Amino acid sequence: MKNKVVNLRNVSQNPCSMCMPLGGIIPFKGLEQSMVILHGSQGCSTYMRRFMAEHFNEPIDVGSSALNEKGTVYGGEENLKKGLDNILKVYNPKLIGILTTCLAETIGEDIDRISLEYLQEREMEDFPLVTVPTPAYSDSHTEGYFLAVKRIITRLAQKSEKNEKVNIIIPNISPADIREIKRILEGMEIAYTLLPDFSETMDAPFTNNFGKLPNGGTKLGDIRNMPGAKATIELGITVEDHLSPGKYLENSFGVPLYRLPLPIGLENTDKFILTLKTISGKEVPEMFRKERGRLQDCMIDSHKYNAQGIAVVFGEPELVYAVTKTCLENGIKPKVLATGSKNFKSGQLFGEESSNLKVLTETDFVHIRQVCKEMDVNLAIGNSEGKYLTEKEGIPLVRIGFPIHDRVGGQRILSVGYQGTIMFLDRITNTLLEYKLSNYRSSMYQKYFQGIDVK
Amino acid sequence: MAIDEKMLEQILNKYPAKVKRNRKKHIVIRDIEKGAQEIEANTRTIPGIITNRGCAFAGCKGVVVGPLKDMVHIVHGPVGCAYYSWGTRRNKAKSENPKENFLNYCFSTDMQESDIVFGGEKKLAKMIDEVVEIFHPKAISVSATCPVGLIGDDLVAVAKAAEKRHGIQVLAFNCEGYKGVSQSAGHHIANNILMEKVIGAGNLEEAPSKYSINILGEYNIGGDSWEIERVLKDIGYHVVTVMTGDGSYEELKNAHIAELNLVQCHRSINYIAEMLEIKYGTPWLKVNFIGIENTIKSLRNMAQYFGDPELIQKTEEVIARETARIEPVMAQYKKICEGKTAFCFVGGSRGHHYQGLFAELGVETILAGYEFAHRDDYEGRDIIPEIKSDADSKNIPDLHVTPDQRRYRLKISDEKMAELKKRIPLGNYKGMISDMKDGHVIVDDLNHFETEEFIKILKPDIFASGIKDKYVVQKMGIPSKQLHSYDYSGPYAGFNGAVKFAEDISMAFTSPTWNFITPPWKNKPLLDGKIVDEEAS
Repeated sequence: MKNKVVNLRNVSQNPCSMCMPLGGIIPFKGLEQSMVILHGSQGCSTYMRRFMAEHFNEPIDVGSSALNEKGTVYGGEENLKKGLDNILKVYNPKLIGILTTCLAETIGEDIDRISLEYLQEREMEDFPLVTVPTPAYSDSHTEGYFLAVKRIITRLAQKSEKNEKVNIIIPNISPADIREIKRILEGMEIAYTLLPDFSETMDAPFTNNFGKLPNGGTKLGDIRNMPGAKATIELGITVEDHLSPGKYLENSFGVPLYRLPLPIGLENTDKFILTLKTISGKEVPEMFRKERGRLQDCMIDSHKYNAQGIAVVFGEPELVYAVTKTCLENGIKPKVLATGSKNFKSGQLFGEESSNLKVLTETDFVHIRQVCKEMDVNLAIGNSEGKYLTEKEGIPLVRIGFPIHDRVGGQRILSVGYQGTIMFLDRITNTLLEYKLSNYRSSMYQKYFQGIDVK
Repeated sequence: MAIDEKMLEQILNKYPAKVKRNRKKHIVIRDIEKGAQEIEANTRTIPGIITNRGCAFAGCKGVVVGPLKDMVHIVHGPVGCAYYSWGTRRNKAKSENPKENFLNYCFSTDMQESDIVFGGEKKLAKMIDEVVEIFHPKAISVSATCPVGLIGDDLVAVAKAAEKRHGIQVLAFNCEGYKGVSQSAGHHIANNILMEKVIGAGNLEEAPSKYSINILGEYNIGGDSWEIERVLKDIGYHVVTVMTGDGSYEELKNAHIAELNLVQCHRSINYIAEMLEIKYGTPWLKVNFIGIENTIKSLRNMAQYFGDPELIQKTEEVIARETARIEPVMAQYKKICEGKTAFCFVGGSRGHHYQGLFAELGVETILAGYEFAHRDDYEGRDIIPEIKSDADSKNIPDLHVTPDQRRYRLKISDEKMAELKKRIPLGNYKGMISDMKDGHVIVDDLNHFETEEFIKILKPDIFASGIKDKYVVQKMGIPSKQLHSYDYSGPYAGFNGAVKFAEDISMAFTSPTWNFITPPWKNKPLLDGKIVDEEAS
């Protein structure tokens, strides 16, 4: 494709993605009373706990089979089984996820066999152990996330009676976003199973009785009955078919699948609401009409300011798509799109519009920075790593996505639905205004008193 | 509330029997009557127990090698390990030439499936070429992640070939995450290579000043070493190099010229300290620049070592000046902190170092421990001959050095050395346990489960640890203080650092946030009212 920018360097310098098991952990944090263990060196789980704690500001418990040199030679089976024993005893979870790491994959550990054998040995065949092969060298955290969701459904879902529920599969968004999606569903009076629901577990209210496993999360019984649902809405149009949980439910159980973009932006939210209306046959309540009207008002209020924005949008593919659409419908020019993942088919997604976009996949921030300079970008929208664009190029950053580790409140950033879009758009406009106001006098002075032509 | 063996038993009973037996050996309740108490440490982590320990890669690249500012540090492996060790330790550095400071960057070979199958050596070699072309660093480090060792990439050969091509040092660290039992293995690996390849590679033969020193095991978290250096320079010391906070490859090469090595973090750097003594005859002194008293004691011990009356006098002057300035401030904070209790569970030295500073503020450390320390960090170096080496520690080779024929120079006479050793911790570290009071708990490799159980019984007022347990503790309604990254604060070392620390923990204690934990409808009615006797009114 013409506009796809190719990176000819070998150096990955300041990467734009994290590793596959990290993404795989997140869905397990959105299941009720669930634990997860990484099969590999303990450093992996320590690093990822540390990293996720910084974003969510919550306790992140991830076990490790703590393999050492001996394990690399003789296999890590014994360690993994011991680890499962200990997690069961101390945490008493209803489900355990087993993710692999580079180490386990490279030495060829067969976690399916080990987990099957384990359950037989312990005479607990019904216990859900969900295995997810996540070698970091094969894909990024985005793919790890969806593969984990798919494997959870594959393990739990069973042929079930038809019911009135709608399955909602969500990508890696903030707990606040999940709560907003649930509010919309409840506002439409739609019964649903949302997976994975880490809205409470990863943004838990303070209570006086803190438990080892947080409250909340998608109920396992609900996941079992997902095949009986009326339909599946997968907020993931960038997800490859082989990773798509919705596709699995459609192919294996015939659940009709609606693949929609994340409801960020007016059109994307319209699509979501309209689909809910179509599936349920229910009318859209007045409340949402008002919210939509306020969003329109917000868009009109800001449109002249927004027209000056030339943006780079980076992060996970699904978010990049939704944010880019939001920029487009508000007159902000998204010139550079960047993701650390391989899977971003911008041509299909944007149609004609795509010829105006520079698209970087599997990229790093050094490359992003270089292209931003070429394209005169004046606004960055994405996760905390974009701080380098601010530090080096003075491009202001609107924080959204994962990870947010240099500010508090990554778990509380709300951007979906009409209401979330209003807040998101205001953040963008105000960033542009702040930039403009802080440079206004000096640029006027330079232009009219010194005669220097500045951009 | 204190804890006794019976209560400990109850906590441990929640484990499977084997785990209980194992963990019991890692927990000691201090009993002075018993004399020396043994604790198990530096053994394998129990799978499935949520430990705070990291891996060899974290100890090598993340801790010891990573802070060297004028080198480019390449991580050979899939993207995760490089990403997670990207600027996360807050080891600060400044360079006169900003183009020679690469700490803000994260370099990864970003191995893909095909690299795992066909090997990643070529990719690494090309990456080194590009790094040299773009950044012109003085030297490059290459750190291995788990798959590298497993697929058999020969880092040393790639590094050697690259050295030939570019004429700069390329250091290969085989610090795959599965080596050893914790990050401690990585420290050792890093120590060996730095000693073998870098230290002594410089041309300087003589120290520029009588009082030339190295600071070992100081990583300049939040600017700690800048505060320490300020005081040392004031007294008249010349700091040759800091290992490795704000450290530079160029300075490290000349570490052999120092007259004395100071050891701050014993665990991560004692190997180099010992080897420097054998190879160049430079003794090392255990110091602790955390807390006012400990800082003063360390400064006095240094002066004792050099034994120069002028230096001793200057030391006292600086101490007097600094304490006069900060003591009134500390006294104010002490009013807030007095009578409180703390848990202090950090790394390999800070679990011990911070107890003194807490005590100065009137805070008693009732539970302490290390993540990845060895028995000598708890029981003192005298125990070293008794420590049996196991398969895991044998996997990390010891580097055997011999006296450098040209550069070995006895810095002080044997008699003086023997005499000094009686007075100051020269070549010695007495460990944490001897500083702890009766009834206090020492826990090695504390995990999430035990954290909660101990908190429930001992109810500390503050929990000093890292970000992984920070939110567990805060959810339990107790303020936490991150002593890995200092919660984006610092410095905490030296005189000014003590004040900053006092300010930070006082903020934690006095923050009104904690007053709102119980909602008003839970413990008292929102509106106070009483039935009024109509006639009386």
